[in-house]
Amino acid sequence: MKKRVLLLLLPLAVFGANLNPDMQKYMDNLAVQAKKDNPNFTKFDYKRGEEIFTSTHIGKRGKPISCTSCHTTDLKQKGKNINTGKTISPLSPLANPKSMVKVKNVKKWLKRNFKDVYNRVGTAQEKGDVVVYIINKK
Amino acid sequence: MKLLNIAIASMILGLGVVTVVVADDDEYKNNKKYSKKYGAKYSVQPVKNELYKEECASCHFGYQAGLLPKRSWIKLMETKELENHFGDDASIDEQDRLTLLSYLVANASDSKTNRSRLSHEITRKISRYSTPIALSETRYFKKEHDEIPTRLIKQEDVKTIANCVACHTTAEKGYYGERDIKIPNYGRWDD
Repeated sequence: MKKRVLLLLLPLAVFGANLNPDMQKYMDNLAVQAKKDNPNFTKFDYKRGEEIFTSTHIGKRGKPISCTSCHTTDLKQKGKNINTGKTISPLSPLANPKSMVKVKNVKKWLKRNFKDVYNRVGTAQEKGDVVVYIINKK
Repeated sequence: MKLLNIAIASMILGLGVVTVVVADDDEYKNNKKYSKKYGAKYSVQPVKNELYKEECASCHFGYQAGLLPKRSWIKLMETKELENHFGDDASIDEQDRLTLLSYLVANASDSKTNRSRLSHEITRKISRYSTPIALSETRYFKKEHDEIPTRLIKQEDVKTIANCVACHTTAEKGYYGERDIKIPNYGRWDD
């Protein structure tokens, strides 16, 4: 019974953006995990996501790095891999309809890029926050 | 006595074979037969695998499988290696990892079906006791690039010697010939 209530509430946790059913399910699962990790968790938050995305940390290479180092602060523009020089297609679904669509890819990049920038994996809450930021950033 | 004869005969034959191999090795650059068999001197098979393009070439230039031998790809594609892939995390779904590995091994520079002269040249100059995980670590590559000034490599438009396509304008097609080299802010390169 408790579970059903939670499932009804969770779709509200992600605001604004249009997510496909798979992505919505992924986000809902993240929300369940976030609530488990932190009972005070209510919903994913754009502002927290922005902080995660734009702040600088000592990354995997032992040097200061931020998500914006490669993706830039304008998510509708192309980014550039700072190590290889390879162009990165825009992260924002507003500019790139292929972005944030396949759960498998989203999972893969969140895992890799948290390691690259934070030198650790992201928590469920952090992942949800940053996804909310990426899909809603104008 | 008969045994001794056979022994001597096989020694001579053995030497004969060695001589042939050495001669072939030395002259193969001008050897028409070799060129016919292995094709243009500076080309490898282009990447023909969508998963590879998506998974590997989304972050860096899509190095063709024929640029490294099998043992190199096997080492590079180990799960532990991928977690620290030239300083970045490149971990990947296990099924995809195996699919990519089999593609790379099947088309490696030393695979039996690889007819590329460039692949053979690269393979030939790697010590059998070493397993380089980057083309830029190989003897052949180093020799080909040793005259390029560091400032041209480190510049923003190139960044690293591993960024093939920054200067080799036809690298995506697997063609690395000199006439298609154009170094940013420098121009054509004449050796």
